[in-house]
Amino acid sequence: MRFGRSLYMIATSVVAYSMFTGTLAKAQNSGTEEGWCLAGYAQRMPVALVCFVVVAMGVILLGWYWLRLARAITSIARLIKDGKANAIGNGKGFFASLRMANIDELCEAFDKHFDDCSVRIAEYEKQIKDLQIQIQLSLRREKNAEAIIYSIRDAVIVFDEYDRLLMANEAAGRLFKFDFSNSQHTPLTELLGADHREFAGFISHCRKSKGQATRREIELLEDGDSKTFDCIVSCVYDQSRQVCGVVVVLHDITRERQIQQMKNDFVSHVSHELKTPLASITAYSEMLVDGETNDEKTRKEFYSVIQNQANRLSRLIEDILNTSRIESGLIKVNKEPVSLTMLIKEQLQMIKGCAEEKNVEIVGQKPIVFDQVYVDRDMMSQVIINLLSNAVKYTRSGGTVKISTEVDEVASLVRVIVTDTGVGIPEDEVERVFDKFYRVGANKKQAKGTGLGLNLVKQMVESVHDGRVFVTSKVGVGSTFGFELPLATRQTVGTV
Amino acid sequence: MADKRVLIVDDEIHIIHVVAIKLRNNGYEVISADNGAEAFDLAMRDKPNIIVTDFQMPVMTGLELVEKLRQHEETKDIPVIMLTARSFAISQEQQDELRISGCLSKPFSPKELLGNIEDILYEKELVTDN
Repeated sequence: MRFGRSLYMIATSVVAYSMFTGTLAKAQNSGTEEGWCLAGYAQRMPVALVCFVVVAMGVILLGWYWLRLARAITSIARLIKDGKANAIGNGKGFFASLRMANIDELCEAFDKHFDDCSVRIAEYEKQIKDLQIQIQLSLRREKNAEAIIYSIRDAVIVFDEYDRLLMANEAAGRLFKFDFSNSQHTPLTELLGADHREFAGFISHCRKSKGQATRREIELLEDGDSKTFDCIVSCVYDQSRQVCGVVVVLHDITRERQIQQMKNDFVSHVSHELKTPLASITAYSEMLVDGETNDEKTRKEFYSVIQNQANRLSRLIEDILNTSRIESGLIKVNKEPVSLTMLIKEQLQMIKGCAEEKNVEIVGQKPIVFDQVYVDRDMMSQVIINLLSNAVKYTRSGGTVKISTEVDEVASLVRVIVTDTGVGIPEDEVERVFDKFYRVGANKKQAKGTGLGLNLVKQMVESVHDGRVFVTSKVGVGSTFGFELPLATRQTVGTV
Repeated sequence: MADKRVLIVDDEIHIIHVVAIKLRNNGYEVISADNGAEAFDLAMRDKPNIIVTDFQMPVMTGLELVEKLRQHEETKDIPVIMLTARSFAISQEQQDELRISGCLSKPFSPKELLGNIEDILYEKELVTDN
């Protein structure tokens, strides 16, 4: 404004001067004496003086503005010197200084613009911070998801909507023989290979059919072994409910299937074992009721068969219950000092008839000076008879079964060893013979059984008496089964 | 009926014993074996009119025995009754395929077994006569 006023003053001076010179010209043109005098006077005034005045005023004006500008620059310089660059940066200090130079409107416009910019910048900065936080959270979530997937024992594979690998854990890599770090974005069919083409087709089909969780049991080879997997393929949906990938989870159920099979076999065996004596009881009873037995001798024989078969049934049920009781810890244990030699002698008498019938020779042991153990007599009798009857069952006519005891005084143990010249057990099955319901595949036809006898031996020796069972075997040569128990201390024997 | 010979196959001596008494009391001649392999040899040698066999036996199962019997000219037409402790051990398809004449579930009644044997032999006679 001030600048405008100054310009106005200069312009007014110039106009006044022009009017003055114009008046003089008119007076001269009028032809009067006063007019000529005035014009002559005016012509005598030097034009240079007028120019000088104008120039001088301009110089003064410029000087005055120069001073203002210099003061503003000095002020900015001072702000910079005082380390208040931000004040300049945001424009306030700078334009406040320029304001002094009388350019208020421009300054105000710039101030407003800078204020808006500052607000926007602040908003952007906030948004950037929010985004950074979200990125951090997403990264953390991704890491967590990866950690979860990696920690799962099941094989987990994630494919995108184009059936390309997105994520997989170690179990999946092991199963399908790929390294995830080198296989990202590998197509499904290429990743799973020609051996699993059908499985790849199944995954692809699940994605196309947009199924929530499609389940299928599949057989796959892992390290040369055939394994059964429960496979669940679930589609992943985006916000618009479009399938953006599939998650494949493969849970190894080989063991469950084996246990299921063993249970089925067990039920089948037990059913057969229970029904066999029951069949005899039913048939013999019917014959007696129908009067098919004319003489007393035959009737007595029938009664005897019924009684024996009932006992057999009872023993079998007892075996099943014992297994269950030991496992649940409900069995009553009456431990007492017992000589294993004496116990073996008693059991040899029990098995003698069966061995003779099968033409299997039984060789007993020599007496041992001190082989007492602190055990439940009935349980230990069952352990010995189970081992002996198993040995006789799987030994062919003309074979031999030996039973002996060893005392290891250093370890304070007594060992019972039953050796036969039977059919033997394949190497890969030896470790499993003590498993509940397990029966050696190759020997199933050799003799009947429930697969409970050896499991009972193991339970009774190891769980109830803190002993240990062992087995060695060679197919076609024979087997050695045995167990060891801690020797009873002489003090224990004396106090009981 | 004295000319009718029945082969009983079971690894349970008591079952053979009681069935044998029942059948002998009703005029049948009885021969027995305690496993499938021995039964096959007896069937080849003695040509029984009917075979009653247990399903689960050591050495050779009842099913394996029937399969073997059906492969030989001398034994392929002998009717077989299967005794089984397992209800679902033999499917209807297997029965039809191996021409198993009947299945009896253990525990069974000797009377019922006798009735089955008589029916099967009667039917066979009718077929032969025609």
